[in-house]
Amino acid sequence: MLEIENITINLPGFSVQNISLNVGPEDFFALLGPTGSGKSVLLEGITGLIPLSSGRVKIAGKDISGLAPESRKIGLVYQDHALFPHMNVRENILYGVRYHRIPAETCKSRYDMLLQRLKLGDILHRNPTTLSGGEKQRTALARSLMLEPLALLLDEPLSALDQVFRDDIRQLLKRLHTELSIPFVLVSHSFSEVQFLANKGAVIDKGRLRQSGTIENLFQRPNSTFVASFVGMKNIFPCRVSGDNAWVEGIPIQAGNPSPADTHLALRPEDIDVAANNQSVYENNLQGIITELDCQGFCFRVGIQVQNTFFQAFWTRQKVAEHELRPGKEIRIGFSAQAVHTFSEPEV
Amino acid sequence: MLSASKGRFTVFLVCFSIPFLLLITMPLGQMLTSSGPQALMRTILDPQVLMALARSLGAALCAALICLIFGTPLAYLLARQRFPGRRVLEGLVDLPIMIPHPVIGIAILSLVGHNHPLGRILSDLGIQLMGTYSGIIVVFTFVGLPFYVNAVKSGFESIPIRLENASRSLGAGITSTFVRITLPLAWRSMVLGMIMCTARAISEFGAIVIVAYHPMTAPVLIYERFTSFGLDYSQPVAVWLILISFCLFILMRFFARSNEVVYA
Repeated sequence: MLEIENITINLPGFSVQNISLNVGPEDFFALLGPTGSGKSVLLEGITGLIPLSSGRVKIAGKDISGLAPESRKIGLVYQDHALFPHMNVRENILYGVRYHRIPAETCKSRYDMLLQRLKLGDILHRNPTTLSGGEKQRTALARSLMLEPLALLLDEPLSALDQVFRDDIRQLLKRLHTELSIPFVLVSHSFSEVQFLANKGAVIDKGRLRQSGTIENLFQRPNSTFVASFVGMKNIFPCRVSGDNAWVEGIPIQAGNPSPADTHLALRPEDIDVAANNQSVYENNLQGIITELDCQGFCFRVGIQVQNTFFQAFWTRQKVAEHELRPGKEIRIGFSAQAVHTFSEPEV
Repeated sequence: MLSASKGRFTVFLVCFSIPFLLLITMPLGQMLTSSGPQALMRTILDPQVLMALARSLGAALCAALICLIFGTPLAYLLARQRFPGRRVLEGLVDLPIMIPHPVIGIAILSLVGHNHPLGRILSDLGIQLMGTYSGIIVVFTFVGLPFYVNAVKSGFESIPIRLENASRSLGAGITSTFVRITLPLAWRSMVLGMIMCTARAISEFGAIVIVAYHPMTAPVLIYERFTSFGLDYSQPVAVWLILISFCLFILMRFFARSNEVVYA
C-alpha cells in the first residue's frame, strides 16, 4: 500500500498542497489534471527527488518521507524513458542491481523473466538511441522492475509512443500490474488510456486535489464543474432540483440520484442518443434542432438546441448518416436518468 | 525560386565574412610565409626556444589539470544547484576574461608579496611565485579557469536532469550518479574545457611579464627577441607558437563536434 498523507511541496512560484491518496497493491491509480497542475511534481515528491515541505509518504506501512530517493524502492518510469545513452540495453536493465544486494541467482532468474516477458532478448547489445519508442519503453520498464520496486510510478509512459507501440505497451502495463500486485501510479492526459488501465484516480488542478475515487466516479459523477469539464462532460448546466427532476432553464430532466442541495447537472456527450419518436427506451426525451455538426475524425460532435439550452452529443458517422442529420433538422434526443449526474459546486 | 533566394543569401553571408577572415589570415599568413624553412628549423633547434615552448605548454597543461580538479565541482555546482548569489558567482568566474591582464599580474603580485600575510605564509613554506615556474602555473590557471568552467558547465547543463533522477530512483546515491552517469556524459566537454584553458594559457603575456618574466614562456621570449633583436629574430618563434595554438584549436573543434550526445 502506498499512502500519501497530506503532502505539501513548495517550489519557487508553484506549490502542491495538502494532497492525500491511498493506492493499494491492487490499484492502478491515475493522476489526471491539466498541464502544469503538479502531477509530475507529486510523483517526484513521492520518490524523494523533490523534498516535501510537509506530509508523509508511507509504503507497506513504513514511513519513507525521510529517506533519500535511492533508499525508497519506488520505481519511476519517465515519458522520455530516460535511458542512459552511454550504456546498452543490458547495462541499462542491470544498472541498479549493485545497489540492492540482490542474490546472483535471484538476479539471473528475474533478468531472464523480464527479458522473456518484455521481449528484450534480441536487443540487449543495442544502444538506446537505435531503439524504437516501444523498445525504449520496455527497456525502461525492465530497468525499474529488475529491482522489484514496492510501487511503480509512470509519468506519461505512453504519450511519446506511436499508436502501434502504445497499444502494445498499454496491454503490457495492464498484464504487469496484475502479475506483480504492487501499486501503479500513472500520470496521463489520455482518457482512453486511463479508462483502460486504471481502476482509481484523482484530478489535480493548480497543485490541489479536486477529486479522487474510482475511475467510474471521476468520469460519471464529478464533484465540481471543473472536474466535470476536465473529464470531458460537455453538458454542464446550472439547475434546480425538485423531486426526481433537475430543472434546467425550464426543462425538466430526470436524474439518477439528485439531492435538493444540488446546483449543477452534468451529462456526458457519449450518453446522449437519437431517440425513436414512439418507443424511446430513455427516461429523458427532448425535442430539439441540430445547430452544429462537426466532424472529429471517427465521430461527429453534434450541437442540439433544446429551447434555450445547448446540448452536445458525440455520434458515430454511421448514426449521422442513418438519421440523415444536418444543421437545422429537428431531432428527438434521449438519455437515461442514470447518465444524468447532479452535484453542488464546492466552495474553493 | 527558393534555391535562387538561398543562393543570394549565401553570397551575402560570404561577402560579409571575407573581410573578417582576411583580418585574421593576412597578418598571420604573412608571418608564416616570411620565415623560411631553414629559419624555422634553426629556431626550433635553439634550446632557448625549445625550453620556452615546452615551458609554455607544460605550465598550460598543469593549469588545465588544476582546472579539471577544482573547476569541475564548481562547474557542476553552477550547472545544477540553485542558490542565492549564483549569478554573482558566475560573474566572478568570468571576471578574469574581462579585466586587463597586467591587472591580474599586479593583483597576484600584491597577494603573494611579503606585504601580504598569504605571501609571508607561502614564503615560510618555501613556495615562491615571483619569477618561478609555479608563478607561471598560477597565472595560467587564473586566466584559463573561466574558459574551463564555462565549457564544463555547458556540458553538465546539456545532460537531462531526468537521467540523474532515474539513476537515483534505481538506487544510486548522488556520488554514484555523478560518477556513473554525469561524468561519462560530460567527459567530452571536460576535454574541450581543458583544451580551451590550455590554448588561452599559452597565449598569456600581460600577467606573465609582471609575475614571472623569467623563466621565459614563449610569448615573453618573442617579446624579448623583438625588443632586443628585431622582427626577423622574433618571427620564427611566433610562427611555432601559432602552429601549436592552431593545432590545439583544430583539436578543440574536433571534440566540440563529437560532443553531441544523442539522448534516448
